[in-house]
Amino acid sequence: VSPTDLPDHDCGADVAAYALGALEPDEANAFAVHLKTCAVCRDELAAFRGVVDVLPLSAPAHRAPRSLRRRVLREVRSPRRDPQGAGANRPRTWRLPASRLGPALAGAAAAVVLLIAVLGGFSGSAAPVRTIHAQVTGPGEANLRLSSGHNELVVSHLPPPPAGEIYEVWVRHGQSSPVPSGLFSVTSSGSGDVDVPGDLRGVTRVMVTPEPSGGSPHPTHAPIISASI
Amino acid sequence: MPPRRPTIRFRQAGPDLRDLADEDLMASVYEGDSHAFEVVFDRHADAAFSLAYRMCGRRGMAEDIVQEAFLSLWRSGAHYDRARGSVRSWILGVVRNRTIDVFRRDTVHAGRDVNAEDAVERMPSGDDVPADAERRSTAVEVRAALVQLPADQRQVVELAYFGGFSHSQIAEMLNLPAGTVKGRMRLALTKLRVSLEPLAGAATLSGGTA
Repeated sequence: VSPTDLPDHDCGADVAAYALGALEPDEANAFAVHLKTCAVCRDELAAFRGVVDVLPLSAPAHRAPRSLRRRVLREVRSPRRDPQGAGANRPRTWRLPASRLGPALAGAAAAVVLLIAVLGGFSGSAAPVRTIHAQVTGPGEANLRLSSGHNELVVSHLPPPPAGEIYEVWVRHGQSSPVPSGLFSVTSSGSGDVDVPGDLRGVTRVMVTPEPSGGSPHPTHAPIISASI
Repeated sequence: MPPRRPTIRFRQAGPDLRDLADEDLMASVYEGDSHAFEVVFDRHADAAFSLAYRMCGRRGMAEDIVQEAFLSLWRSGAHYDRARGSVRSWILGVVRNRTIDVFRRDTVHAGRDVNAEDAVERMPSGDDVPADAERRSTAVEVRAALVQLPADQRQVVELAYFGGFSHSQIAEMLNLPAGTVKGRMRLALTKLRVSLEPLAGAATLSGGTA
């Protein structure tokens, strides 16, 4: 056991709160860094996560409504009509209102085919996924996955956004102002994904900033994720 | 329009699919097999809905949350990492996270006032309890383990997990030092770890049906 494997302070006090997702964002970030060098905390966290994973089973059981099943399966079985078509049945709170989306996205419904051509040789339904590794400021990883008719930003090990804030995705054409694309958060393990809909022709960068809940029409923070296309 | 996935296969959800473990089904989901997705949905939708309903206390909101969680799974099935736990844990983690996002967006959190004394049974069971004996048994075990905790320890776990509150918020609510709240969380999880060890191991390591 190396010295770095031993806790140099009362780090164990944070393990349970971290497992429960109850640390404040800055504390969670610091603890995630600490975990990299503390085997004791890693072991305890693994054990606590096993417990936290079964906590939801204590919720009184209800059968999911049949109408919910129909809606979900109808969405799954319907070929995507356009890049934003799949969002038609989404909860209202998960997407920026259309009025807040910039013109480049508002008019993007029919641009998928052009997108395929521009982004490098995708053709037909068997087109591969092109993955662009994004730069991340701080802990976590992010990849921009581009495929025919479906572009998404996938993150892992990303700390949660600060309290009262949410991550907002932006697309930028050259030096023009970033245009809001979508909102997302991450799971307790730091995983998350968000569609990047619309025509990405001319888009040179996809970015993520923490913004106030509900999103912002303009970035108010420096990007924590940036992917160059 | 091109299909969403490289290949979308339609086939009947026969016994062969329903015999597969979740982790194997996820591979088919990624390939665009809507029937594999249907099996995953049927296995876990009740638990997902129960969790969302337990957290937010509003049926419509719970439906929205679960719908979005499963559609997210459909769109990003490739990102399930079996090394990080079971499919069920993954799905329920997504549901919980999305519910907390809703809490953060709303100024009125009708469902967040988790009462420590009745939190475990706060939601009515109703007549629609799934007839799955194993699931009921598991739920009973977890509830029993929670009830056996000292009230002050159970309280902070309930507020954090189901209420989505941070330790600082809980400390403020309960007028306690933050260190006390975190200490109670640790004591609670340590005790639950012992009492739920077989169950926790099974939930983490196995896929199977919920």
